[in-house]
Amino acid sequence: MTAPLEWYLVLSAGVFCAGLFGVLVRQSALHFVMAVELMLNAANINLVAFSLEHGNLTGQVFALFGIALAAAEVAIGIGIILVLNRNFDDIDVTEAVTMRW
Amino acid sequence: MIIEALLAFTLASSMLVFGVPDRYAGKLATGLSAVPLLGSLWMWSEFSSDGNALLADDTVAFGNTVDWFRFTFDTYEWTLQWNVGVDGVSLPLLVLATVLTTLALVSSWTPIDGRQSQFYGLMLLMETALIGVFTTLDFLLWFVFWEAVLIPMYFLIAIWGGPRRKYAAIKFLLYTNLASLVMFVGMFALIFGLGDAISTLGFAEIAQALRGGELSGFAGMEPDTLRLFAFVLLFLGFAVKVPVVPFHTWLPDAHVQAPTPVSVMLAGVLLKMGTYALLRFNFTMLPDVARANAELIAAIGVFSVIYGALLALAQRDLKRIVAYSSISSMGYVILGLVAFSPHGMGGATFQMVSHGLISGLMFMAVGVIYNATHTRMVGDMSGLADRMPYAVGILLVGAFGYMGLPLMSGFAAEVLIFIGAFESTVIGGAPLFTAAAMFGIVIVAGYLLWAMQRTLFGEFAVETDYEIGRAPLHDIAPMFVLIALIIALGVQPDIIYETIQNAVNPLNDPLALVVDLGGELR
Amino acid sequence: MVDVFNVVEAIALVPLVSFLLVLALGNRMPKKGALSGIAATGFSLAISLLVVLDLATGGEVYHEELFTFVAGDGAGVELSFGLLVDPLAALMLTIVSLISFLVHIFSLGYMNDEGEIGLRRYYASLSLFTFSMLAFVYSDNLLMAFMFFELVGLCSFLLIGFWFREAGPPSAAKKAFLVTRFGDYFFLVGVVAVFATFGTTAFAGDHSFIVEATHVLEPDATGEMNTFLGLGEQAWITVVGLLVLGGVMGKSAQFPLHTWLPDAMEGPTPVSALIHAATMVAAGVYLVMRMYGFYALSPTALGVIALVGGFTAFFAATMALVKQELKQVLAYSTVSQYGYMMLALGGGGYVGAVFHLTTHAIFKALLFLGAGAVIIAMHHNENMWDMGGLKSRMPVTYWTFLFGSLALAGIFPFAGFWSKDEVLFETLQHALSGEPLLLVGYAFGLLAVVMTAFYTFRMVYLTFHGEPRTDTAASPEPIGWSMKFPLVVLGALSVVGGVLNMGVLKDFIGSENLFLKKWLEGKTISGELGPLSAEEYHHILESDFAAGYEVTELSPLGPGALALVLGLVGLGAAVALYRAPEPTPHMTKLGRIRTLLMNNYYLDEFQVWLATGVTAPLARAANKFDQSGIDGVVNGAGSVSMFTGERFRRIQTGIVTNYAALLSLGLVLLLLVFGFLGGWF
Repeated sequence: MTAPLEWYLVLSAGVFCAGLFGVLVRQSALHFVMAVELMLNAANINLVAFSLEHGNLTGQVFALFGIALAAAEVAIGIGIILVLNRNFDDIDVTEAVTMRW
Repeated sequence: MIIEALLAFTLASSMLVFGVPDRYAGKLATGLSAVPLLGSLWMWSEFSSDGNALLADDTVAFGNTVDWFRFTFDTYEWTLQWNVGVDGVSLPLLVLATVLTTLALVSSWTPIDGRQSQFYGLMLLMETALIGVFTTLDFLLWFVFWEAVLIPMYFLIAIWGGPRRKYAAIKFLLYTNLASLVMFVGMFALIFGLGDAISTLGFAEIAQALRGGELSGFAGMEPDTLRLFAFVLLFLGFAVKVPVVPFHTWLPDAHVQAPTPVSVMLAGVLLKMGTYALLRFNFTMLPDVARANAELIAAIGVFSVIYGALLALAQRDLKRIVAYSSISSMGYVILGLVAFSPHGMGGATFQMVSHGLISGLMFMAVGVIYNATHTRMVGDMSGLADRMPYAVGILLVGAFGYMGLPLMSGFAAEVLIFIGAFESTVIGGAPLFTAAAMFGIVIVAGYLLWAMQRTLFGEFAVETDYEIGRAPLHDIAPMFVLIALIIALGVQPDIIYETIQNAVNPLNDPLALVVDLGGELR
Repeated sequence: MVDVFNVVEAIALVPLVSFLLVLALGNRMPKKGALSGIAATGFSLAISLLVVLDLATGGEVYHEELFTFVAGDGAGVELSFGLLVDPLAALMLTIVSLISFLVHIFSLGYMNDEGEIGLRRYYASLSLFTFSMLAFVYSDNLLMAFMFFELVGLCSFLLIGFWFREAGPPSAAKKAFLVTRFGDYFFLVGVVAVFATFGTTAFAGDHSFIVEATHVLEPDATGEMNTFLGLGEQAWITVVGLLVLGGVMGKSAQFPLHTWLPDAMEGPTPVSALIHAATMVAAGVYLVMRMYGFYALSPTALGVIALVGGFTAFFAATMALVKQELKQVLAYSTVSQYGYMMLALGGGGYVGAVFHLTTHAIFKALLFLGAGAVIIAMHHNENMWDMGGLKSRMPVTYWTFLFGSLALAGIFPFAGFWSKDEVLFETLQHALSGEPLLLVGYAFGLLAVVMTAFYTFRMVYLTFHGEPRTDTAASPEPIGWSMKFPLVVLGALSVVGGVLNMGVLKDFIGSENLFLKKWLEGKTISGELGPLSAEEYHHILESDFAAGYEVTELSPLGPGALALVLGLVGLGAAVALYRAPEPTPHMTKLGRIRTLLMNNYYLDEFQVWLATGVTAPLARAANKFDQSGIDGVVNGAGSVSMFTGERFRRIQTGIVTNYAALLSLGLVLLLLVFGFLGGWF
């Protein structure tokens, strides 16, 4: 007995929206990273769900890539946050605007 | 293979010069540039073919064609070729480019006092591109070289230029690049319109297909509309390079800001790219459109002559004077090209070479004076003939050359253009256009004599805190070479004129136009 | 006898070699290159004399193509250089090389002995000048003539501006070149038009443009030509003739392009002699003589020539009346005398014009060199009111100068009398048969005779007679042999020059003794001179298809006597007014007229106004339009891009949240668009 595909998709959409919401309203860079992770994982859920549905492994392989990517992203993200903190004494992303025009 | 050898050698020399220490760069670059110079002279001595490379297949000298790769558009497929070779139109310009490069390199020894290896490297890089422009016979290949000229030129102005060099360099680059874009669109409209009628982008193939009337419509345009559309775009694109009024305002800025040797190259060779391309594209590939609009084009040429001369009359900066008079001289070329008569096109091509030499000479002479006085403004100096007799004598020779003094190449070129234009059957009212253009010879005498009287003669007066003395030999020597060439071509124009005529005369034959002009041929 | 024609090219080429030599090594040569110039011009003179001798004793006209300038490749016209030595050219070659030779010698005294610097430049330019003029004289086609015509202009620029460290000479040099260039503009249009019309510019040969044009107009019309702008054949020939005439008026200083010539006095005096007598100014009228057969076809062109010439003769003479500088008087007299030659040419007096050109070359060179001697003696003071009494202190100069003046004033039996008379007589002959333009010209010519005699002797008396009015005049600097020798030679020639063609007395001596006429008619050479002979010119002149002049038979004695009497009246008036030991400046009584004349009718001001008041503002307006209009558009395009860029980059707030919001918004919009287009809703 498997759950129907729609459930996975609804879950995925929900997770994605949560991530998007986080990106749009949060000011802390750490929240950002977490929100982006949520969105990535939403995509992973999608991939795995379709993989199950279609019965081949391509989606799962992509999901693995996605996880690796997310790990790398976190590593770089944390690095950026550290530098941000060093330069601005804060990790508020709306403060770091010195590079604009 | 000589052309490939020249290109490869010049490119390699450029890379080499980039790498050597500054103090050796000048001499080394000059020495290395002797090779393409001698190479092109050797080509000149071996050259023996007749006719126009675009109109007949067996007229290309030193030709070499290698298939490179294919590309497709829609249902068409074309082969891009490495296609080089010269004929009587391009060879004189090739020689002009190599001669002027070497002389300009010598004349850079004094004024260029920083980052020499980069300067000379860029000059040689530009020479490579110029050789490419005058020797390639495939549109895409040619376009690569055409654009490649701009890059070294941009840096040469932007790094070694005068106080407003950034402005001038960017203006130059944007203006000419935009023009290239317009031209590129026009050309590809033609290529897509030709479609299956051509299998490569070789100039000859395109020209023969177009003259053979094999153009079909493209993008909803009828063939006739497409011809006109492409002609206008091509003309606009090249008019900027020539430059034709009103697309000329980049030129005085670029000239005034550029250091002397760069001005020499700019006026001597780069402007000729524009007229060369006009001859190759507009007047060879679409002669029917040119003939149908001959009066308009002639009027543009005449206007350039008179307007450029009037502008020169209003200037106070010697370099600006020479720059504006270049616009005036290039107007003669346009008039000669559109005449479609025996001496018109030949005279125009001869004028390209002649003006290259004379304007090079003028810029060098002004540069030598600038090196000594650190000013170019007419009001700031007088009586220079007292202290710098040789430099002044040379400037005088250059100025009289510009005025079209007989027995100098400028006169031969101008009189040939005038004869050609006067008896042109293509331009309605040709005598009136010619007479109007010829009035330029009075104005040119006016502003040059005025400027020289103020600067060179009278009591010596220049405000400097050092003694003004004679110019060093290596500043003077290249100018003597130019004077010798100018007089040689002025006394015996047939040295190159015969070759040129062999190549351009086939273009005058209206019967070679197979296209129906929708009326009788003029 | 060695055929002299084998070396005829050398007449011009040897001075060219001298030019190159002096240019290259002048400073190391003896006398800074003067000797090389003397040798070269002496050589040219010798060859020219041999050529004259040969032609006088049955030689043949020499016509040969020298080299091809532009081959034309079968499609276009061919441009070439060639030699044409016919009697006219041979005569002119002799005059030019003679004057140039004497000027070189004179320069030894005038320049070398005065310690001038820049002599290498001076002698190099003189040689180049001589070369250009000689080559111009023997050119066999109009294009070659134009080329050397222009080079002559260049040389006069170099020589007039010789003392370039002062303010005046460079300006005068510029003016000379510019004004003549303005004339040459029309000339060049004419040359190009001749090419386009006839396909050749040759002066001689069976298919010269002159012959071709004649054949076109002849009743049986066998010639071929193209016409332009919808004009008829004769009208187009007139247009072409008038275009070429522009160059003539510039170089020969005819009204209104005469203004450069008096200014050209800024140059060294020997140069003035050369310019006025034999080279630059003579080039213009020589050109008309060279293609006289062409002008003879067009009554309109001839009328214009005659009227311009007659008016110039009169107009310039009025200005010479009041001038105070020696050289200024001479300058205006040159303008006036060339007016006579033009009058003669327009009036159908080809022989008279050539004759006057010859005698004028001699006596005007003499007068200028004499003036040069006086100027040296006076330490470069040229004002005649500072002179006086030089007669006893420099007798050689005085006597030769007097001979020259008598010749200029046209007093019997000096050279000028015969030639001026010939000019007036031939004009009158053609004028009486109903050519009003010629009659007007003739009247101007007669008026000018009185004035010429007057100003000439005013000059002589002020300079040489009376008491010295300054210390310099009381003890002038002595002059050397190198200056006296040319004066003596020219003085002798001015006395006897008339024997060439004593037209007034032709009823007594018989027309076979009119040497110049016979010479120009080609009677002395073997073979026919054909279309280049004076006879043929008269034939064309009197043909109905051409000028259609008619000759009224007159005895030359009456008009000759009239001219002589008028000359004597002028002379007498001058003597009466200025004979006193302390002459009074009578001309100041003319009041405002004098001011007008002193200022040359404000023509210089007018021309300067044309340059600075019309052309310069036009140029400035064009420049302003260019800077703000055209370049404004270019820079405006730049500014608009910059401005819009400035606005648009405000989107880049630097706040990540905004970017994220825009991204999501964009995605949603895209989805909506695809949705609507794809019909999902």
